Amino acid sequence: MRAFDLYVAKDSRDAVMLLAKHSATSKVKVIAGGTDLLADLKFSAHSPNVVVDISRADELKSITVTDGGLRIGALVTHSQIMKSPVIQQMFPALVDAAHTIGAVQTRNLGTLGGNLVTAVPSMDSGPTLMALEAIASIQGPGGRREVPLTDFFLGPRKTILKADEILAEIIIPKQNLGKPTHFLKFGLRKGQALALVNVGASFWVDAKKNTFVAPRIGLGAVAPKVIHAPQAEAYLEGREITPEAMAEAGRIAATDAKPISDFRASAGYRKNLVAVLTKRALEGAYALAQAKR
Amino acid sequence: MVTVTININGENRTATVPPETTLLRALRDNFNLPGSKLGCDVGDCGACTVIVDGKPINSCLMLAAQADGRKVLTIEGLASMNGVHPLQRAFEDCASLQCGFCGPGVIMSAKALIDENPDPTIPQIRDALGGNLCRCTGYVKMIEAIQIAARVMRGETAEVNR
Repeated sequence: MRAFDLYVAKDSRDAVMLLAKHSATSKVKVIAGGTDLLADLKFSAHSPNVVVDISRADELKSITVTDGGLRIGALVTHSQIMKSPVIQQMFPALVDAAHTIGAVQTRNLGTLGGNLVTAVPSMDSGPTLMALEAIASIQGPGGRREVPLTDFFLGPRKTILKADEILAEIIIPKQNLGKPTHFLKFGLRKGQALALVNVGASFWVDAKKNTFVAPRIGLGAVAPKVIHAPQAEAYLEGREITPEAMAEAGRIAATDAKPISDFRASAGYRKNLVAVLTKRALEGAYALAQAKR
Repeated sequence: MVTVTININGENRTATVPPETTLLRALRDNFNLPGSKLGCDVGDCGACTVIVDGKPINSCLMLAAQADGRKVLTIEGLASMNGVHPLQRAFEDCASLQCGFCGPGVIMSAKALIDENPDPTIPQIRDALGGNLCRCTGYVKMIEAIQIAARVMRGETAEVNR
């Protein structure tokens, strides 16, 4: 690894001060869990001159339910998500998604914020959080600003974060707390695989009419960033919940997806996976809705 | 340069290292503990696994500075004056290692698992070893040894009997 200067932030406020100070004159990177950054830096020609370590900002490590919704600190690790009683109870899909990331060691280091900020299109945290209409709470020198996750990602490894900002919290809005949600990932093996496609699906059930209410589908690894499946969502809204409707929503979601062909899978294969996984994720969310009644 | 003080295997150790030094490099080069292995250096193989504040992590993906003030347990910290750790004994008795390069990492992953879950199922053991790659022995005999060691550590059997 090339040499860099390291600054350890005491807390999130200190972190943005350090970023503001050094980003004017240096190439700066933020380190939290390090699982993406250090792996990159060892093989990268474009090394930063300055690294700001935010891993000691303890106020970004908690999971709390407030009036605004479920707030997950950006430094919460994937292991912490898996073990959180609140998340296990409200969103088993987030537990499932966290469990598919890396392995025990990387899940103990890697953070939810890091997974999002790295902005790799195949990230496993993205689709479920998109389906739950999560909000990114961003901290800069002037304070916090909130941005829907849909607007947070700009493209592969690109987010709207400015040089002097960090992702501080991820908020699942109050109206979505406990919303039945299911996550599925298809990789080439069980352990440490990147997703060929991953899907998060979420909807409420109108118990009287047995219809879809506020259906949301998040898709990963099928576009330059994690996306919604807007046409599939529109198709399902208010429709009666049947196996046929879920299968049709899957077919429509495949047209919402804009995958590329690469060494892992062809675009056509990925589209087929979107159709199947979307249908199954909807079935999974429905099973959870039934179990909760 | 950064100066770090890390509690390693129960002893406070201090070193001054360049900021880009990983915990793994510091353990091997500064603290003379070469038990943790440098394999892939990107967090895939798990040969560098150590336990930090009770949790197994890839020491190649943590800066030494990030371990400052924390508790680190490496493979060298397992054996005591009373002999080797039950996991080490079980791995030996079951012939769970051939070349042994992955062994320190596998055993530290297993140690962390049993500390948290004294009676792990085979799927739980497999999940715990998901971040440890072995390319020669295979995992069957490791899983067997971990089950035996867990039994010994629960006090159900004094000896490693197969």
